[in-house]
Amino acid sequence: MSKKKKKKQKGQEREIARTGEGRKRVTAKASASPRQGRAKAATPPARRSAGAPERRARTKPLPPRSPRPATVTIEKADAAATEPPFPPTLGPPEPRERDIEAEIRALEAQIDLLTPNRPPGSDALRKARGSDPVSGPTDTATELLSEAYVAQRWGKAALRSKFEPVDEFGYDKVYEERAKPLLDFLYESYFRVEVRDADRVPSEGRVILVANHAGTVPLDGPMLRMALQREHPKKRELRWLAEDFVFHMPFLGAWMNRIGAVRACQENAERLLQEDAAIAVFPEGAKGVGKLFRDRYRLQRFGRGGFIKLALRTGAPVVPVAIVGGEETNPLLFKVELFAKSLGLPFLPVTPTFPLLGPAGLLPAPTKWRIFVGEPLDLSEYGEGAAADELLVGRLSERVRATIQGMLDRAIGERRSVWFG
Amino acid sequence: MKREPQRRAKPRGPSDAAPLSAPPSEAPLATVARGDLVAAGSRRVVAVTGASSFLGSNLIALLEEDDSVSRIVAIDETSKTFPGPKTRSYEVDLTQPTSEARLAEILAAESAHTIVHLAFLASPSHGSAWVHELESVGTMRITVAAREARVRKFVLWSQTMLYGAEPTNPNFLTEKHPLRASRSEPFFADKLEAEAEVQRLYQQTQHGLDCVVTTLRTAPIVGPSVRNVITRYLARRVVATMMGFDPLVQFLHEVDAIAALKFAVDRDIAGTFNVVGDGILPLSTVLRVCGRVAVPIPHPVAERVNAALWLAQLADAPPEFLKYLRFLCVADGSKIAAAGFRPAYSTREALLDFVNAQRLRDVRLIEENVG
Repeated sequence: MSKKKKKKQKGQEREIARTGEGRKRVTAKASASPRQGRAKAATPPARRSAGAPERRARTKPLPPRSPRPATVTIEKADAAATEPPFPPTLGPPEPRERDIEAEIRALEAQIDLLTPNRPPGSDALRKARGSDPVSGPTDTATELLSEAYVAQRWGKAALRSKFEPVDEFGYDKVYEERAKPLLDFLYESYFRVEVRDADRVPSEGRVILVANHAGTVPLDGPMLRMALQREHPKKRELRWLAEDFVFHMPFLGAWMNRIGAVRACQENAERLLQEDAAIAVFPEGAKGVGKLFRDRYRLQRFGRGGFIKLALRTGAPVVPVAIVGGEETNPLLFKVELFAKSLGLPFLPVTPTFPLLGPAGLLPAPTKWRIFVGEPLDLSEYGEGAAADELLVGRLSERVRATIQGMLDRAIGERRSVWFG
Repeated sequence: MKREPQRRAKPRGPSDAAPLSAPPSEAPLATVARGDLVAAGSRRVVAVTGASSFLGSNLIALLEEDDSVSRIVAIDETSKTFPGPKTRSYEVDLTQPTSEARLAEILAAESAHTIVHLAFLASPSHGSAWVHELESVGTMRITVAAREARVRKFVLWSQTMLYGAEPTNPNFLTEKHPLRASRSEPFFADKLEAEAEVQRLYQQTQHGLDCVVTTLRTAPIVGPSVRNVITRYLARRVVATMMGFDPLVQFLHEVDAIAALKFAVDRDIAGTFNVVGDGILPLSTVLRVCGRVAVPIPHPVAERVNAALWLAQLADAPPEFLKYLRFLCVADGSKIAAAGFRPAYSTREALLDFVNAQRLRDVRLIEENVG
């Protein structure tokens, strides 16, 4: 062993010793911390392996504390949980799903299988060292609180505390389940949505759906989401990008966000596509929502071609979608822009029923909806750098717009009634 | 230690950075690449301003354990002394015009290598003139003193709240995003000015100044012992929410905040970094986990009532904070993750840890001694 190596090893030993001490110190510092079992964390491996059945027995009589683990994942399953679950303090009391206990038990069993019989502390240290050749004695805090350490400390307790399955963009599965009856009613009985060629949306990987936008109250996003959930062979989960004003409004913004809307901006769209999601964009934007009744099904300018740039940068295919029926739900006669800005809205709508009948006048008319899905357009041949080519972006954007306009025109021509299709 | 007089004797300026660097064993800092760990064996002096604050006192305790830190210079306006054997306390009032020279003197005499600037209020205050002197002008004084004393590293504590809660925010704000917090509220305005001041120092490093300037923007810090405007809000039994709004919120555990500061002291990471816990929670869930009764109030009403209560010194925070109950202000922590720091607690775990201490506090099993 070279001199250098020896030195390093020595440093590690000292480090480990110090870490143990540091742990106690920090706990003492966070004076009111109830997690005082921190120093106990380095449980000997023998006890851990033998303790598995006993542990399960211990956890069994606990009441179902976590009523909403709909998306329970084993994020931190790589290390064992040595401690009994976290004090039963959390979560709202009303249980929403019945098989939670069984689900948790199954996941716990998986954790036991995944856990290797190694002392977790030193393993975590070794892992941290592996990537860091110059490590000195300065890592205390990060190491002490490394992911592995927390996983070990929390383990199953972390599983049980998954009390809110909201994803990073605010979509709440449980909330959507609750809103499902209303959405189902709108989809099945009210708008009687029909979907053509839903299977043209790729079954996996990132994809951008581009659709026409309308209707004063933008319900086309949720309906398109439901269409894919129901009619697509793989039941793809669609996220749609909504205009800023939606998030400015009370109730509407929070509600839309929980059932899958994301604020329309490049950063959000790019992040979603990096995660191989299917997203829907309405490039007409607020101009689309504010389309007068006489302009229905005439597509407005497609922004600055942001969705094409997005597709070029991320290599996602573009699927044109035409939604027929959505533009007649709230026929917009005039737009009043007088006080709108102070309310954060682009305009105040005047429809045959609003503001005549008060808020009830905003209820959509029961038109017959049809959703047509076009052929996917693969833009990957142009390469990533093409996003800077404004001319190309404009041309492609116009091509998509023309495709959707053509689909709309054909569908309107075939349609016999606004109400019955 | 023996380098100190030599360093002070040399004329200041960017050009003499190279001749100053002694052989690597003695002055390893000149040779260490950005982002690398400061080589073991170097004994550094770390100065901490706002030493008696929550972050300050905990960071000092952590530095006390670190062998690579030879001395800690605790700078605070109170004459609190720290028990650690390596810590030397100095009483400096940053609002005094003479503090600049005194600070430079202290930093030079101690030959401070690093300065960690934590002298910021964690909650809004009514004494806005004093706060302005302390935070905005005080930061200017510290940067001047740091330049004067040739400090090699400047670490600033900032907050992601400065991005501002806007409906037009992307779901995850990166460091490039402009800071849009309301400048009419001194709590934000002074911190924004402080950041701008440090940004100016950072610009100078681009033009030859030998100093690693790091700004850490932490998400709202919660935890068992920290007290700030957020924990005060969550500590109420009945809390106001804005009717029809349920923004996504993000927290950072207090231990992670201290660990991040330590990380910035240990490694040379220049630039601005968001330090945030993983994951987000809707505000409604946060309140439910805390077991609070949420009273939804229409926001135009709430803003007026809050403004009146703030004037009457009955409210915890001015009305500008209500925006954070309506719109999201969530930052993206991938930049510091790429530099090698990962918070140990997620947003949810940090909140749970806070709640467990708060429950004891609610039934008065813990008494408060932190301001």
